[in-house]
Amino acid sequence: MALSDSIREMFAMIELEIRRLRHDRTEIYTRAVQPILWLGIFGTIMGRVNAIPTGGLPYIDYITPGVLLQSTIFVSVFYGLTIVWERETGILKRLLVAPTSIYATVIGRSVASGVRAVVQALIIFPVAILLGVKFISNPFYIAAAFIILFLVSGGFAAISILVASIMKTRERFMGLGQALIMPLFFASNALYPVELMPSALQMFAVLNPLTYAVDAVRGLMISGELSKLSIDLLAILIFDVVVFTLASLSFRKIIE
Amino acid sequence: MACAIDVRQLSKLYNGGIKALDGLDLRVKAAKVFAFLGPNGSGKTTLMRILTTQIRPTSGSAYIFGLDTVKSGQEIRKIIGYVPQETSVWLDISGYENLLIYSKIYGVPSKMREKRIQDTLQSMGIEEVADRMVKSYSGGMVRRLEIACALLVGPRILFLDEPTIGLDPSARKAVWENLISFKQEYGTTVFFNTHYMDEADLYSDEIAIIDKGRIVKSGTASELKQSLRSEIIQVYSHDRIGGRVLESIRDLAFVQGVIDNNSHLEIIVGDSETRLPLILDLLRGEGISLERICTAKPTLDDVFLNYAGAIHLKCREEEERGSKPVQA
Repeated sequence: MALSDSIREMFAMIELEIRRLRHDRTEIYTRAVQPILWLGIFGTIMGRVNAIPTGGLPYIDYITPGVLLQSTIFVSVFYGLTIVWERETGILKRLLVAPTSIYATVIGRSVASGVRAVVQALIIFPVAILLGVKFISNPFYIAAAFIILFLVSGGFAAISILVASIMKTRERFMGLGQALIMPLFFASNALYPVELMPSALQMFAVLNPLTYAVDAVRGLMISGELSKLSIDLLAILIFDVVVFTLASLSFRKIIE
Repeated sequence: MACAIDVRQLSKLYNGGIKALDGLDLRVKAAKVFAFLGPNGSGKTTLMRILTTQIRPTSGSAYIFGLDTVKSGQEIRKIIGYVPQETSVWLDISGYENLLIYSKIYGVPSKMREKRIQDTLQSMGIEEVADRMVKSYSGGMVRRLEIACALLVGPRILFLDEPTIGLDPSARKAVWENLISFKQEYGTTVFFNTHYMDEADLYSDEIAIIDKGRIVKSGTASELKQSLRSEIIQVYSHDRIGGRVLESIRDLAFVQGVIDNNSHLEIIVGDSETRLPLILDLLRGEGISLERICTAKPTLDDVFLNYAGAIHLKCREEEERGSKPVQA
């Protein structure tokens, strides 16, 4: 399988997702409600307490990167539901009988979900500005932050595909999807610095890819503090490679 | 003639010890329409999944145009089209978009893409609904779109798993007529699983019947029907036929058996069309006044039941009147 074939297939998957979004954007709007509540209500009220050391940032600004990431990861993690649906219908059987590589299929679908997730973030972004969040004005930084959102949500979509190939049914998948997101969110630096956590949770936070993603996005979008950006990027890339590989290896099992 | 499918001693044992295929042998000639019949759980879908490289056999081998399904999966996937039993198109985009995405996944060169899509839309008769969302399609349209997606790449062989299940008779007819005209134009081999005997009868060049993981009978539809070698002539008369007349019918060399049902006689022969006049001559010669005569030819249903189930040979008319089917 030539590389160009795999790339072509990935673009076909991205195109599919964009076409679906063009036909029906309801999901993107309804999913925007929850993160807007996090920012508008939780962020505003907790900001009045001033209890969390944010390094001088307004609290709502502090949590914006985490909330953006959480909402994109929501999209990605539930992307597996699409895969479960495609398994119940014959679409996956047919894709696996097409002359494509499994890696291209899995990475293509994950990347496509990343695109969907970025569209989600683009809806929340202007709302955050309206709520008074002060973003760094350098457009390259903001663009770089969106690329990180894209990379991280692609990785989580791969986890979702991995879970879908093991769980196989909608009900089991839903349970696990819920059980995955909130712990990852709370055991990261999305809402508070890692240093405030109990030590056991701190260890988990160090292994949590979301911690690195939040740090990078916060640096690029809000604080301008980029001293750990290379470590963050490295962690995100390792995460992506590992989950893409695992998801690809398990994917054929989904139709068995 | 080249062998499109060559299966030798194929067995598949699922986890849990279920033997889906048990030393199956099968050859399918290229450019033919091949119907694969069998009861539920007989191994039809398992065979199709092995042939389309989705799963591996436990033992034995299967070749598609000489390519081994285990070793050359990637090459096989380039030359086959496959339509699973379940829906295999995206419902939340249009029919055209489905074809566009599939053509990109399959790597149809961009210059040819538009023409290929229009050609397949036309050959499956769905060009008018191409821009509608698939979720607004009828079952027959969805199925034709799925087949169009599979035909897009010009496959050498097309695998269809229960292609018309759940469709109404006119939708089934539309699917098959489009498919057959496409096949005649491009010489594609078509291999399909079905429960509908009439489809196998009407549209296939050859048929194989599978039961408990083995082929129990194969041949053309008329060969299979002839293989039963028994048709029934039912004779209703005003007079009671008995004694000497009955004996002389039994003595005819071509009569395989006579059943006296009191109300009527059932005469079992090899070929009712050529034998009926002879029987009529005999009865008239004996001065018997006839009320009614009906003949029953075996249908593919009878063939199926004979080789993959209980043995029945029914007189259609009797069946309509609700009497018991006759054992042949």
